[in-house]
Amino acid sequence: MFCAPGYPGGAGDAQPLLDQFASVALAGSGWPAGSLAAVYDPTEQGGLAKLSSADAVLAFVPYPFYVEHASELHLAPLVQADMTDIGVQQRWTLVAKAGRVTSPASMAGYTVLSTAGYAPDFVRRSALERWALPADVKVESTGQILSALRRAASGEAVAVLLDQTQAAALPTLPFASDLQVLTQSPPLPVALIAVVDSRVTAARARNLQQGLIKMAQTAGSTEALTALHLRGFVMPQLPPQKPAQ
Amino acid sequence: MRPLCCAVAALAVAACTVPLRPAPGVQAAPPEPNSPPASVEALAAAVQTAAARSDHESRAEVRGDLAAEASRDAEACLAREPQAAACLYSRAVALGLEARVHPTRAADLLKTMLDSLARAAAADAYYDEAGPARVQALVLIRAPGWPLGPGDTEAGLAAAQRAVALRPDYPPNLLALAEACAKTGDENAARDNYTRARDAALRMPAGADREEWLNQADQGLHRSP
Repeated sequence: MFCAPGYPGGAGDAQPLLDQFASVALAGSGWPAGSLAAVYDPTEQGGLAKLSSADAVLAFVPYPFYVEHASELHLAPLVQADMTDIGVQQRWTLVAKAGRVTSPASMAGYTVLSTAGYAPDFVRRSALERWALPADVKVESTGQILSALRRAASGEAVAVLLDQTQAAALPTLPFASDLQVLTQSPPLPVALIAVVDSRVTAARARNLQQGLIKMAQTAGSTEALTALHLRGFVMPQLPPQKPAQ
Repeated sequence: MRPLCCAVAALAVAACTVPLRPAPGVQAAPPEPNSPPASVEALAAAVQTAAARSDHESRAEVRGDLAAEASRDAEACLAREPQAAACLYSRAVALGLEARVHPTRAADLLKTMLDSLARAAAADAYYDEAGPARVQALVLIRAPGWPLGPGDTEAGLAAAQRAVALRPDYPPNLLALAEACAKTGDENAARDNYTRARDAALRMPAGADREEWLNQADQGLHRSP
C-alpha cells in the first residue's frame, strides 16, 4: 500500500509503475509468484482505510505519515527509501514573512501550512522539535504550497513548512526576498516501507528486506526504481519517537 | 521530499493533461493513406482527432502512437505557419498527449505546453472558443504545483476567468472556471459556475458534447458541499 498525502497524482496513473515495482520486489524476495500486489492512495483517509484491511501487509509511506500513524497501525519499519536527488534523509524548513517572526513565541495565532500538515505530531515533535510552537498555532495540510507561500509573503499570519525539494526551490520564486527561514529540522527520514500489524511472518519480512536492499544492484530493477524516483533502500535508522505532549 | 509521490505520484503527472476536443467547425477529415494533410486547418483537425481518440483509449501503446502522430502533425502545421494560433494550439495539445504517455517527463512537457498556449492566445485568444485560456486554466489547476510542476491554482483561476470573459456562454469555459473556483476553495462560486455551465449546455444543440458537459456539471454540483 503506497500512500503520499499532500502530493499530486492519482491511483490510476501510478498503477503501472507500482505494478512494475511490486513485480521486481517480488522477484528479489523469493516470495511466491502472485503473492504481492501494490496499490496507491493519494489521501490520508484513503490510505488509512486501505491499511486497516487485513490484506494490506506493507506500507510505503512518507515519514510524516509514519510518525502520525505508526502506533495505531502497528507499523514496523522494514527499509528506508533512498530517494533520487534527496537521499535517505531530508531537512524540513519553516519560513514566514521576513522580519515578522522573531521567536517561536512570536508565532502565537499563526497557522503552519505544509504538505505534511496532515501529520501535526510530525510537525510539532519531529520537524519543529527545536522550535516549540505556541499551543494556539494551527497546523493545516495543503497541497498548494505556492499559494501558501504567497499568503505568507503578503503578511498573513501564516508560516510554511517546506520539504527539502520545496526549500531548495525557494530562491527561484520572485517574492523569495519577502520570506525568511525561521528554522530547519534535523535530518529526518524521507520515506519508508513498514510491515503492517505483523501481517508478514518474520522470515518473509527478512527475505523481502534483503531483496529490497539488494534491489539497486539487481539487474532489471533500475527502471522500476527510477520510475518511482528511488535509488534504492537501506536498513531503517529512525530517530527515537518522542512522546506526545 | 521529492516525495513518495514524485516517488509515487510524480508518477501521476498524467493527471494534469486535459481533455481536449476538436475545435468547433473543424472537421477531422481522414487524410489519404500515407499522405500528410495539406492545410493548416486539416493538420490542426488531425491533432484534435488524435486527442479525442486518446481521451477514450485505455491502451498505453495506442496512446503513445496517437501522441506521436499528433506531434508530427503539429510540427508540420508549425512548419507551414509558425505563428498561426491553430498550429500553436495544436502543438500544445500534442504536448499534452506526450505528457500523458511519458509521466516522468510531464512536468517539462507541461511547461512547454503552457508556453505554446500563451503564444496561441497572443495570436488569437478566441481560437477554439477561447481554447488557449481554457486549456491553460485546466493545466494550471490540475498539474502538480510548485516546485514539482507548473500547477498554480491562482494563475489557473485567472486563466479560467479570461476564457469566460472571452466566451461566456461556452460550457467548457464555465466548467473550467467552476473547477478553478473549487480548487481555490471558493465553493459557492464553484457551485454557481457549475450551474451556469449546466444552463449554457442546455442551450446547446443536442449531442454527445452537450451530454458530456451536462454530466460534468452534474458531477461538479454533486461534489459541491
